[in-house]
Amino acid sequence: MDAILECRGIEKSFGGVHALKKVNFSLHPGEVHALVGENGAGKSTLIKIISGALSQDRGEIFYLEKPVIIGSPRKAQDIGISTVYQEPLIYRELSVLENIFLGREIKTRMGNIDWTEEEKKARSLFESLQIAPHFIKQPMRDLSVGLQQLALIAKALVYEAKVIIFDEPTAILTEHETERLFEIIQKLKERKVGIIYISHRLEEIFRIADRVTIMRDGEVVGEHLVGDINRSKIVELMAGRLLVEEINHLGKKGEKPILTVKNLTRKGRYYDIHFDVYPGEILGFSGLVGSGRTDIAQTLFGLIKPDNGEIVYQGKTISFSSPEEAMANGIAYLPEDRKVQGLFHILSTSFNISVTVLKEISSRMGIVHNSQEKELGKKFVKELAIKAPSLDSKVYSLSGGNQQKVVLAKWLGVNPQILMLDEPTRGVDVTSKSEIHHMIASLAEKGIAVIIISSELPEILKLADRVIVMHEGHITGVFEDQDITSENLVRAATGERMLKTKGSSIEEKNL
Amino acid sequence: MKNIGSHIVENRVLFLLVLFLILFGVFAFSVKGFFTYYNLTNMTQYGVELGLLALAEMLVILSGGAGIDLSVGSMLTIVAMIIGVLIGRAGFNPSLAILIGLISGSAMGYANGFLVAYPKIPPFIVTLASLYVYKSLAMIISVDPRFGPNPMPVSNFPETFYFIGQHRIGGLPFQVLFIFIPVVLILMFLMNRTVLGRHLYGVGSNETAAIFSGINVKKIRVIVYTLSGLLSALAGWVITSRIASARPDIGTGYELQAITIAVLGGVSIKGGEGTAGGVVLSIAIITMLYNGMQLAGIHQIWQLGSLGLVLVGSVLLNQILYNRRKF
Amino acid sequence: MTANLQIVMKRREFTVLGLILVLMVIFSLSTEKFMSVSNLSNLLLQLSGVAISAIGMTMVIITGGIDVSVGSILGMASVVAGKLLMAGSSFVIVVLSAIATGFGIGILNGIIISYGNVPPIIVTLGMMSMMRALMFQVLGGRWVSGIPPDIRIIGLGKWLGIPLSMWITAVLVILFSYFLSSRPTGRAIYAIGNNPEAARVSGVNLARTILIVYSLTGLLVGFAGLIYVARTGIVQTNTGSGFELEVIAAVMLGGTSVFGGKGTVIGSLLGAVLVGIIKNGMVLMNVPALSEGLVIGVLILISVMIDLIRSRGESL
Ligand SMILES: Nc1ncnc2c1ncn2[C@@H]1O[C@H](COP(=O)(O)OP(=O)(O)OP(=O)(O)O)[C@@H](O)[C@H]1O
Ligand SMILES: [Mg+2]
Repeated sequence: MDAILECRGIEKSFGGVHALKKVNFSLHPGEVHALVGENGAGKSTLIKIISGALSQDRGEIFYLEKPVIIGSPRKAQDIGISTVYQEPLIYRELSVLENIFLGREIKTRMGNIDWTEEEKKARSLFESLQIAPHFIKQPMRDLSVGLQQLALIAKALVYEAKVIIFDEPTAILTEHETERLFEIIQKLKERKVGIIYISHRLEEIFRIADRVTIMRDGEVVGEHLVGDINRSKIVELMAGRLLVEEINHLGKKGEKPILTVKNLTRKGRYYDIHFDVYPGEILGFSGLVGSGRTDIAQTLFGLIKPDNGEIVYQGKTISFSSPEEAMANGIAYLPEDRKVQGLFHILSTSFNISVTVLKEISSRMGIVHNSQEKELGKKFVKELAIKAPSLDSKVYSLSGGNQQKVVLAKWLGVNPQILMLDEPTRGVDVTSKSEIHHMIASLAEKGIAVIIISSELPEILKLADRVIVMHEGHITGVFEDQDITSENLVRAATGERMLKTKGSSIEEKNL
Repeated sequence: MKNIGSHIVENRVLFLLVLFLILFGVFAFSVKGFFTYYNLTNMTQYGVELGLLALAEMLVILSGGAGIDLSVGSMLTIVAMIIGVLIGRAGFNPSLAILIGLISGSAMGYANGFLVAYPKIPPFIVTLASLYVYKSLAMIISVDPRFGPNPMPVSNFPETFYFIGQHRIGGLPFQVLFIFIPVVLILMFLMNRTVLGRHLYGVGSNETAAIFSGINVKKIRVIVYTLSGLLSALAGWVITSRIASARPDIGTGYELQAITIAVLGGVSIKGGEGTAGGVVLSIAIITMLYNGMQLAGIHQIWQLGSLGLVLVGSVLLNQILYNRRKF
Repeated sequence: MTANLQIVMKRREFTVLGLILVLMVIFSLSTEKFMSVSNLSNLLLQLSGVAISAIGMTMVIITGGIDVSVGSILGMASVVAGKLLMAGSSFVIVVLSAIATGFGIGILNGIIISYGNVPPIIVTLGMMSMMRALMFQVLGGRWVSGIPPDIRIIGLGKWLGIPLSMWITAVLVILFSYFLSSRPTGRAIYAIGNNPEAARVSGVNLARTILIVYSLTGLLVGFAGLIYVARTGIVQTNTGSGFELEVIAAVMLGGTSVFGGKGTVIGSLLGAVLVGIIKNGMVLMNVPALSEGLVIGVLILISVMIDLIRSRGESL
């Protein structure tokens, strides 16, 4: 079959950064073509060029066998190329319906927007994707990220896309939503839509992709049918070296818990939460997005007030009223949403890294030692392999994964007693992820109590010494040692009560 | 790869510096009496009051959250009246009166900051309300019951009071040397070298991320508006001393000029972006422009007009050059 | 149905309406004059200029912009109207020229903002200063007064006992509410305020939409200038100074977010009415001129606080 889309010799530079070097890429109808590579390899840049958000410096794009100059996102959509971006582009205050049709409204003869017709069309669209469209009149901000993304896919279909590009779609989705996305992708394939799929989760590639293109430092270093290649080969091509992935569970936890949570309830968020945290352990929180894990972490961090319950920290009952206070007492929290909660976009990389530790690198009078600040920045850029032209580079110019590494650096520098990490490796490539996992493990080894919240089962399985699973605000399972299996975690996450761990105080109270 | 030209269009401060030099050159060659030691030193005094207000505006806008302080002109006025009435009518010791003035200015700024930070009322609304309130209070204070119910200026000050606004050292006005320059240096140090400065930029560029980073956002907001009150109060003191009179309408219309100068200086209205250096250059440009035009015999109202022209023209030029360079 | 009612009651517009009613009751109980026909029509006349300009400002703020030049546009349009009237021009020419003046300045704002890519605050601050200087130049520092009375029909004419200017305001509010809620361009205005990047990607013509918004604002304010002349019969160099703040306050009191993306014309109308009633009541209750600002400022703060308390109660 002939390609719908073909890129030949694409080149792109940003100032001094050579982001794409002679890139060739093609896509067939009904095919899922995966694009993988380390953070900053140039994946997003390539798809931004294909979708008209950027224009290439050199090279040609053929669409339906004819050379095209895409030029603008509008043009790309008009000719049938739609994109679901890494950072979802939504209108928060407008309804789902408007999000779908804005820019391409269905109009009445008078030129007014034909809401009824739009609604009819949207409903039938969602139904064809087998999704109950009860939410289409709600403002977009009220939807979960998963539903927001579905709305954006529906939007692509309204534009009758022949090519749909997904840039790390599953990074913000729950397992359940991911499954639904895969079903939809399957349906799109049947409709002969060509799909470009970017992801750092290689297991997904093997599930849904037909072909995979591997990029490194702006170059294509391999293109294979998925059947002809295996995981370690892909990683080797991406990183230019082999990867050690095993992490040993540490389990060397302290005797006495550093933190005990009793009876904690916040209506509508979580109910009757009990657990202990020990110094030196890695405690995993698993469950679906929205199951209350983030709310609990934010409560410990002083951002949410519980209705009742008790938090005992280092032998004292505490109730922090602000993150400032929590941090002063040695509790740190890496938030899940890097764009809104994590980064100062228009400020420099070094600012972003040092902002949480200014106290340590300044004099008693509050004067910052510039040299120490620079050193700190340099150290983390090296340790986390952050790809940034310089420490002064503004964070918005970094690739998504590198931005996430900056957020991580900001919290790794804090040296807390309890470190809570909420989706710490979202959007980070496999090699860096593995390095970050090792860093997290070594922090625990130093005696820090690490709480890790992750929607990625493999991450929890790999790191956690103990796992608490939540479902709709309740703890539905606590697992240790060989009980930490994906089967157990999934069952508890879907609401099955599985509190059978021995010797835990939680058990008696909850059963 | 990067030449000087592209640096200039990318860096607002450099751009302003070039603009300053060009204007300076033009005036030096074409306006008689401009390029004399006396004029060059003398004119600096006219930039002090507006300059202090612009710096106040810079801090507030920088702190983000749609930060703006419409009440700077009113705070200037009321502090001028407080000082005037205390010295001229109540016979206070000038130092004490000035101290009371500065404290009340800070307190009024604090009130603004409190309303912005705690009940989270939009800064525009808060400071618009306080613009009315402080102005009205200034008029009420200015009434001298001995001479009927109308607002009255105060102008009987002891000789010592004029020191700050009317003396010079080596030709340079006292208020420039001992108020404006120190204020600028302190602010630069504060913004670039201290934890408080970092926090200010952090809050301005992303408030939520600042909260999650353990920055006390409310405290920063309160500090910033309080400083704005203090700077306005300083300006109120200086202007009273310079013109030897405290008038209840003295600061009217200053707020928008101060915002204009801050914005010309490269302070982004979205917060988190801007430098004291840029604002100082912007003050220098405007002061020189006013002076040059006055010497050239152009009517005063055109000072305002030219301020607008420079503002729009320079930013537009900057944008055009920037875009040109890209393609 | 009750659910719908609750949604309505939670809206900012509802709080403002409530406040308006409360103030009306207070004022009418404390002074007889407040409810008199002449006072009410005077009140409506006064607030129509703010209300009409607030329509434009609402759109501007929804896009995430600001227009601080409206006061000077009002002034400039008044100058043009005043000068032409003094020169004996016909009614139609005066009306058209005043509106065209506002429109022209609005277009200029719009072009520099959209095509020159200069932030709105910079453009409109600059425009304000330039227009003020220009007004001074045109007027030569003098007043225009003794304006011929036929223009006053806009200000003083009535239909069914309600001033013409209020009818015009009502029509404009309905028209623009319809525009903002049902026309693609109207919705694009919200889209830009919500997420300009997304709007660009979905093919909204950003530059054109922004140009439209600022030019329409100019046009509406030009009209408000006409009403001003018709009402007062006087034009000075500082006509309209401070007007911009009043308009922005009305829009923000009416619930339009400074951060853009949401807001309604009805809300802004109510905001304008609120400010108008406060000012009017003040005069009637013989609040001394000196303390007028004090009372206005405090009332503005109180009205925002009430809304904040209400909306906080719902989020808890
Ligand atoms: N606007 C920009 N200005 C400067 N450099 C940029 C810009 N956008 C991207 N880059 C640089 O181009 C390179 C490629 O970035 P790109 O976003 O394509 O990476 P990516 O492969 O998508 O990575 P990730 O997996 O982290 O999302 C990076 O080095 C990045 O810093
Ligand atoms: Mg990317």
